[in-house]
Amino acid sequence: MEISQAIDIRAAMRKSGTIMAYNGEVSDDLMVTLADLLKNRMKQMDDKKRSRTVFSIFMEGMQNLIWHSGKDGSAAGMVCISQKEDEITVICGNRVLKENALALETTLKELQAADKDTIRQLYREGMSKSSKHDGPGAGLGLLEIARRASHPISFAFIDVDASHVDFFLAARI
Amino acid sequence: MNDLNIQETERTPEIKLSVSDGVFSIRGESFPEDVSAFYGQVIESIDLLKENIPDRFQVIIELIYTNSSSIKALYRIFEGFESIRQGGGNLDILWYFQEDDDIMEELGEDFHDRFPDLKINVKPKN
Repeated sequence: MEISQAIDIRAAMRKSGTIMAYNGEVSDDLMVTLADLLKNRMKQMDDKKRSRTVFSIFMEGMQNLIWHSGKDGSAAGMVCISQKEDEITVICGNRVLKENALALETTLKELQAADKDTIRQLYREGMSKSSKHDGPGAGLGLLEIARRASHPISFAFIDVDASHVDFFLAARI
Repeated sequence: MNDLNIQETERTPEIKLSVSDGVFSIRGESFPEDVSAFYGQVIESIDLLKENIPDRFQVIIELIYTNSSSIKALYRIFEGFESIRQGGGNLDILWYFQEDDDIMEELGEDFHDRFPDLKINVKPKN
């Protein structure tokens, strides 16, 4: 990388109010390290409730990245946390197989349109469900994120090649 | 004896089970690397209690943060409590949350909703 490119990255991070950003291989160790960093960072925040919510969403997002990494062809993931005025945004991104993206998109659209009571009901029903495909949290992680976010979640799918898409999920707190 | 005495770590809670005293407790944070490995023995120990139901059984849950896969494991443990209740056991479940911790308060309510026949008391820890 050229210094000028690093300067561009820094400028972009400053502009978006980035608190923490990571892109690369994800692992359980990395999650614990970043979780520690985030916890310390959040301690400086006065709003304990909000810092718990941010932490919870971050953890579910990371666990989702770890679970899907490698399985769908890439061990890489991206997570960034930013703050603009009084709003914190957690964004996670990872590559998924195109064949899985459609089902995911359907679920996300449902969650996006659902009100808080509906999400809570889905969450309660999800507590007892198990699923090999969705990982140890069996879809509960996504419901946790949707439930904790203060606005409906947003998402994007970006085509990579014939069989892969990049999936991004954002939650505002 | 299927007593448990699991020490707390930075990502797993302290878990204690004394069959003779009829007390089970979970305290701390829960995001183990391998949820099945960590909670497997706990689920098993609670399941075994239905073979030999204690007269009174006090459960104390005092979680600070728990990830979604731990919640699934906790659900299995609650199923064990439900079996004990159905077998005639007298359970008392205390679900503590930190005063301003909505997340843990709501989770306590969610368990209460899923297990309406269990006596679950969700209250702030002073």
